[in-house]
Amino acid sequence: MSVQTPNGFELDTSGQRIVVDPVTRIEGHMRCEVNLDENNVIRNAVSTGTMWRGLEVILRGRDPRDAWAFTERICGVCTGTHALTSVRAVEDALGIQIPENANSIRNIMQLTLQAQDHLVHFYHLHALDWVDVVSALKADPKATSELAQSISDWPLSSPGYFRDVQNRIKRFVESGQLGPFMNGYWGNPAYKLPPEANLMAVTHYLEALDFQKEIVKIHTIYGGKNPHPNWLVGGVPCAINVHEAGAVGAINMERLNLVSSIIDRTIDFIDKVYIPDLMAIASFYKDWTYGGGLSSQAVMSYGDIPDRANDSSAANQMLPRGAIINGNLAEVHDVDLRDPEQIQEFVAHSWFSYADESKGLHPWDGVTEPNFVLGPNTKGTKTRIEEIDESAKYSWIKAPRWRGHAMEVGPLARWVIGYAQGNPEFKEPVEKVLTDLQLPVSALFSTLGRTAARGLEGSWAAHKMRHFQDKLMANIKAGDSSTANIDKWDPKTWPKEAKGVGTTEAPRGALGHWIVIKDGKIDNYQAVVPTTWNGSPRDPAGNIGAFEAALLNTPVAKADEPLEILRTLHSFDPCLACSTHIMSPDGEELTRVKVR
Amino acid sequence: MAMTETFYEVMRRQGITRRSFLKFCSLTATALGLEPALAGKIAHAMETKPRTPVLWLHGLECTCCSESFIRSAHPLVSDVVLSMISLDYDDLIMASAGHQAEAILTEIREKYKGNYILAVEGNPPLNQDGMSCIVGGRPFVEQLKEVASDCKAVISWGSCASWGCVQAAHPNPTQATPVHEVITDKPLIKVPGCPPIAEVMTGVITYMLTFDRIPELDRQGRPKMFYGQRIHDKCYRRPHFDAGQFVEDWDDEGARKGYCLYKMGCKGPTTYNACSTVRWNNGVSFPIQSGHGCIGCSEDGFWDKGSFYDHVTNTHVFGIEANADRVGIAAAGTVGVAVTAHAVASAVRRIKQGAGEHHEENDKT
Amino acid sequence: MLTGVPTVKQTAVYVYQTPVRIWHWVNALSITILAITGYLIANPLPTLPGEASDHYLMGNMRFFHFAAAYVFIVGFIFRIYWAIVGNSHSHQLFTLPFWRRSFWSELVHEVRWYAFLEKEPRKYVGHNPLAHLFMVVIITVGGLVMIVTGMALYSEQTGLGSWQDHLFGWVIPFVGQSQDVRMWHHWGMWVIVVFVMLHVYTAIREDIMSRQSLISTMISGWRMFKDDRP
Repeated sequence: MSVQTPNGFELDTSGQRIVVDPVTRIEGHMRCEVNLDENNVIRNAVSTGTMWRGLEVILRGRDPRDAWAFTERICGVCTGTHALTSVRAVEDALGIQIPENANSIRNIMQLTLQAQDHLVHFYHLHALDWVDVVSALKADPKATSELAQSISDWPLSSPGYFRDVQNRIKRFVESGQLGPFMNGYWGNPAYKLPPEANLMAVTHYLEALDFQKEIVKIHTIYGGKNPHPNWLVGGVPCAINVHEAGAVGAINMERLNLVSSIIDRTIDFIDKVYIPDLMAIASFYKDWTYGGGLSSQAVMSYGDIPDRANDSSAANQMLPRGAIINGNLAEVHDVDLRDPEQIQEFVAHSWFSYADESKGLHPWDGVTEPNFVLGPNTKGTKTRIEEIDESAKYSWIKAPRWRGHAMEVGPLARWVIGYAQGNPEFKEPVEKVLTDLQLPVSALFSTLGRTAARGLEGSWAAHKMRHFQDKLMANIKAGDSSTANIDKWDPKTWPKEAKGVGTTEAPRGALGHWIVIKDGKIDNYQAVVPTTWNGSPRDPAGNIGAFEAALLNTPVAKADEPLEILRTLHSFDPCLACSTHIMSPDGEELTRVKVR
Repeated sequence: MAMTETFYEVMRRQGITRRSFLKFCSLTATALGLEPALAGKIAHAMETKPRTPVLWLHGLECTCCSESFIRSAHPLVSDVVLSMISLDYDDLIMASAGHQAEAILTEIREKYKGNYILAVEGNPPLNQDGMSCIVGGRPFVEQLKEVASDCKAVISWGSCASWGCVQAAHPNPTQATPVHEVITDKPLIKVPGCPPIAEVMTGVITYMLTFDRIPELDRQGRPKMFYGQRIHDKCYRRPHFDAGQFVEDWDDEGARKGYCLYKMGCKGPTTYNACSTVRWNNGVSFPIQSGHGCIGCSEDGFWDKGSFYDHVTNTHVFGIEANADRVGIAAAGTVGVAVTAHAVASAVRRIKQGAGEHHEENDKT
Repeated sequence: MLTGVPTVKQTAVYVYQTPVRIWHWVNALSITILAITGYLIANPLPTLPGEASDHYLMGNMRFFHFAAAYVFIVGFIFRIYWAIVGNSHSHQLFTLPFWRRSFWSELVHEVRWYAFLEKEPRKYVGHNPLAHLFMVVIITVGGLVMIVTGMALYSEQTGLGSWQDHLFGWVIPFVGQSQDVRMWHHWGMWVIVVFVMLHVYTAIREDIMSRQSLISTMISGWRMFKDDRP
């Protein structure tokens, strides 16, 4: 039996059901179930967010100036982006203007995250979907060296270097203790890379593991630590002092130089290792064109990286703002986060309840009451789910919709919108990739397209860091060392009631926080995060979300090895701790059940 | 079968000579209070013993602990994972998923019964039948208890596992519960922080591997070597505190000169951690050095101790939020007024009484 | 004194022995220093200009706090000793006649006296029941709480393994964490400050209005009664 969803996908639940739980190499906890037809092609997909922590109910009644620290702990992988969104929401509510230097430093920190997170995602969360570690043992180090040197002038590329790494991997594998590579899908026919490409990728897996920790030192310099650097409502906490006595206690010339050198090394690593690897791997998977899902028809981005401080217009955002629906790239719609008609969240298939579940609610009016119930067709019990019933409630994730449309967000969405807007910063790199790989534009709308857009964005972010670091230096040179505006630091200066919204483009996509402040305290706080969009369950109309859409029609080489499922899910870089939230309308304590 | 790279080989690769290695082994023996003859045994063990399996489970968390762990600069996390331990289960980086991932837990539990380390990031929620954190279709707390039952020791990574952290902040809607309240029959090491410092995490692990024992713990179960002192005790801005020089406002002259952040709510004086000594990300900086006060992220319940920007924070008792100074000054003021009023009333009464007595006296005479 | 008031016969009892009197005034001084320095440790004075090496304001503040604390503690221990070896009044501070009915009725009477509902206070050789109750709760129990929490906080800087840590370190996890201990210690300060205000006021008032001497008693040790009625 097959059903047609309103957003144009065909679902057939008749075939064999495959369960993947836990989905690994993601942030947080997620479950995925699919139905395969007789040819092992995915005909139905169900994605379930399997955790929630209730951060928004915890935020009620707290000091809005503290909110960044709480929301930052929504996610430690995209660390900092929730904090930035939060301080922006509070500043929007209270009408706080930030100094130009604070804007530059915040942008550098946000771009640092983009660059580092994309790099870690590619090598450590995603690469093993394309790269067979065991096959790397069969590689010829000399040929590997030739391959590496043919695609990049990265200096670590001698045959001896690759031989050392290969020996190390060999001893590791032969020890029988495979560690994180244990029970991997090695030898699966879906792996297409030759041994030399595998060895090169595994080598860079280890190199990137050592290098990623260098990038985040920028967070440490401006924010004191990473993960979870510090932020400040009204600016940034680090003061600048480059001229006077005591400069060693602030951001001084040495600190600025350190940031600058890390930026240079980051640009180098991404452009000489990450991008060439990405292109090399992609060239072997050109005919694996699956996983497009919603990307060719409905994508959205809020925009981010404001060039000048305190200007939230779309034109001032370096990452694009807009929405594309019905696959019409010729028209990019404006997105207004304050409009109650645009962004709404539904819970018909989520473990929450509304008074009227056929309708959605705008985040400022958001109510969420947990309601963990399973549908009648669930196999197993309430605490031992074997197969979930997607006709009923089946996820801790809500279903946000933009004007009723399920949307995909993330690097691919941003790059598609930038491309559609004709912005050369996005259009030219995309066209170059397509030309180099001899692929049509339609190839963009795929799992690999998502992975490629992320890589391009990593490089873009690294270069933009240079832009803002230079801007910061120029501004300091012009005599402006200001980093914080404290005019409205004291809650006594605040209005009795205020509402604000803050946005960023997190590495995983469009992120918005909505805050209501009353009598100096948080009255309501809602976050709609990228994985809420991408990993959303079905809405009352039956529209499926981006994860589910992207999995459809993908052939699986071996039914008992979910390699292709992981590949496509990972291309979204899911973040489950982010996506699952709960808000009880009156903040009441929920029933306690002891499990001992 | 070729040998895996052993601890000895890692040390050799890092430039340590055989001579120093043996010296290290005899020092270890001395440190452990063993007779010198046992040094040879230690050396032999380190040259040959297989890597200790580590099963790293994730409950309700934000993955910041794993992210911090992979930032370790010394030892490099690649060395830790490839050469020092056998990280057989960690759903952040492991290649396998679903059934294949779950199978690893069963295999290691059987094969290394009593000999593997359980590392926990995050904590189990007990409300909603434990189903606000589901792994393999079951509550996380079940998985945690099963894996713990055969482990040698438990490491509670970060403030979630150690104390409860943000999801356990008031009103703790999921009843997120620290690991030591669920696993009570195993040696447990708390390595708190949100997240802990990378080099502290790898430091604890390498200590356990090197000395083959659990580090000495303080009353709350934290390794004394990293959590024995407060950030304030070793803070490089301490001279400004002692002198009475403070940042009074963000970005003021004091901020630009690196004065003490005490008045901005810095929790360094009440926070046990190694931030001011080990510092973060290979010693680059730490929160105070970058201008923001410590928020006390390695302390129990730090989310519920009032604003991060108050030094004299609010006290929550019986659901009332109160600041000791505000209440104290108000109380002292009220008492002052009351005392004055009472004094006036007493004087009036005395005058009246005196007059009365006077009359009585007059009557008598 | 109003003119014409007849001279009344004053009887005298030796109540406060010399060590108790010295303890009282030393204690008063240490509490004053502790409260002022304590408040200023929590709420420091405005920033001083110049180099850090030019000043040691907070350091001194803390030194005086700790020094006064040791005086307070030594005094407290001495006072316990004196309660054992001293006269019968000296252990009043450590005993509460909880089960004695007359204590409670006298307490009510004393409260009524302060509320202007009684014409005349009763006479007491030692503390009146209300003062007695407050003394035990605030000075003895309160003092003990301040010593225990204070020493726990002090043990944080003397470090793990110090005798302060051995004796008082348990308090921190018992209460919660360091910040909690700090807050309760701070609340304790305000409780004592409010008590001191009441104590000083009532001592002066009662010295004038009651039928016995108070302030001079704590100087000379002798309780003087202004009349010889019961």
